[in-house]
Amino acid sequence: MSMRALPIGVVAIGLALAACNPTGDTGYVEIRTVPVASQRSSSLYLDSTKLEPVQKGVAVLKQRAGTTKLSAESIGGQVPLCDIVVRKNRITTVTVSLLDRPPRCQCRNSAPKGGACVS
Amino acid sequence: MVRSAIGGRHWKPVALLAFAALMFWSALPVTAQTQTQPPSQSQTLDAITPVEEFSRQLEQFKNSIPQLNKRIEDSTAAVDRWTNVERARKEIEELRALVGTALGAVSDNGSVSQLGAKALAHAREKLRMLEQDTRFRPEERKFLTEQWQRLRADTERANDELSAARKEFADLLRTLQANEDFVEELVQIRQAQKALEVIQRLTQDIREANDQLKRLIGGIKPPGA
Repeated sequence: MSMRALPIGVVAIGLALAACNPTGDTGYVEIRTVPVASQRSSSLYLDSTKLEPVQKGVAVLKQRAGTTKLSAESIGGQVPLCDIVVRKNRITTVTVSLLDRPPRCQCRNSAPKGGACVS
Repeated sequence: MVRSAIGGRHWKPVALLAFAALMFWSALPVTAQTQTQPPSQSQTLDAITPVEEFSRQLEQFKNSIPQLNKRIEDSTAAVDRWTNVERARKEIEELRALVGTALGAVSDNGSVSQLGAKALAHAREKLRMLEQDTRFRPEERKFLTEQWQRLRADTERANDELSAARKEFADLLRTLQANEDFVEELVQIRQAQKALEVIQRLTQDIREANDQLKRLIGGIKPPGA
């Protein structure tokens, strides 16, 4: 029984590791918030991950390469702000204006088509 | 260009070494203070573990800095040789990987930063709890409070240093990106030049073939002509 379960276990671990993408490409997202000290700032999300409050107006986050969505918490759910293209060992910078309702993205560099923030 | 951008503005080996020294300096009191706790306070020793872990991680990060610094300097010197564009591109790619690794450690969701936040939260929580703790005599409580206050201050300073490192690495990565884009443009110019050479050679071949054909046609004489 245990011998039969072993390969299944190995496959399961393999699948789990693949899902975690342990050797996957990662890049960085730099989120700058203006104004730096905002009293009532909405929570920000990268895809479904809620971000910690941005300290001193800047947060640098490690992120898996690919396109990720930045959104803000709002009444009735999340409001998408912009798409961020993350590339391996590159940093993509986006400034979020918290004065606007909902907050607004300003890309340091934008893609020619689609307007996503790129590195 | 890369050398001036990195060496001149963004990358300062001396500053980096100073940063490493500061890391070491910040980490030392944390370790030292863990040894000053009264042995009877096992609960306190348990609570100090996140701080120790943070200190250990900082130490590891600090140890990686001189090596990283040397590799970056070596690579920067190599990138300065612009004659080999492909090599320059490869060097910048390797540099990005190096800086990316360092940035990954100190990024806000990186292991060291998260440990730092956790350690700071523990120190603050311990101070808050000590204020309400009735187990100790006033002088004991005073001693413990002073220790935790010092620990908190050191951890805050270490976290500030991490923020500075984060900014430094992020700026460096951005500089490398800009330089890589420039190198990429150079590669494209070179490729366009090569393509032009191929077209020119092809045009020359066609012209020669045309001349040869003309000569051949000119050489054809009908019988009796």
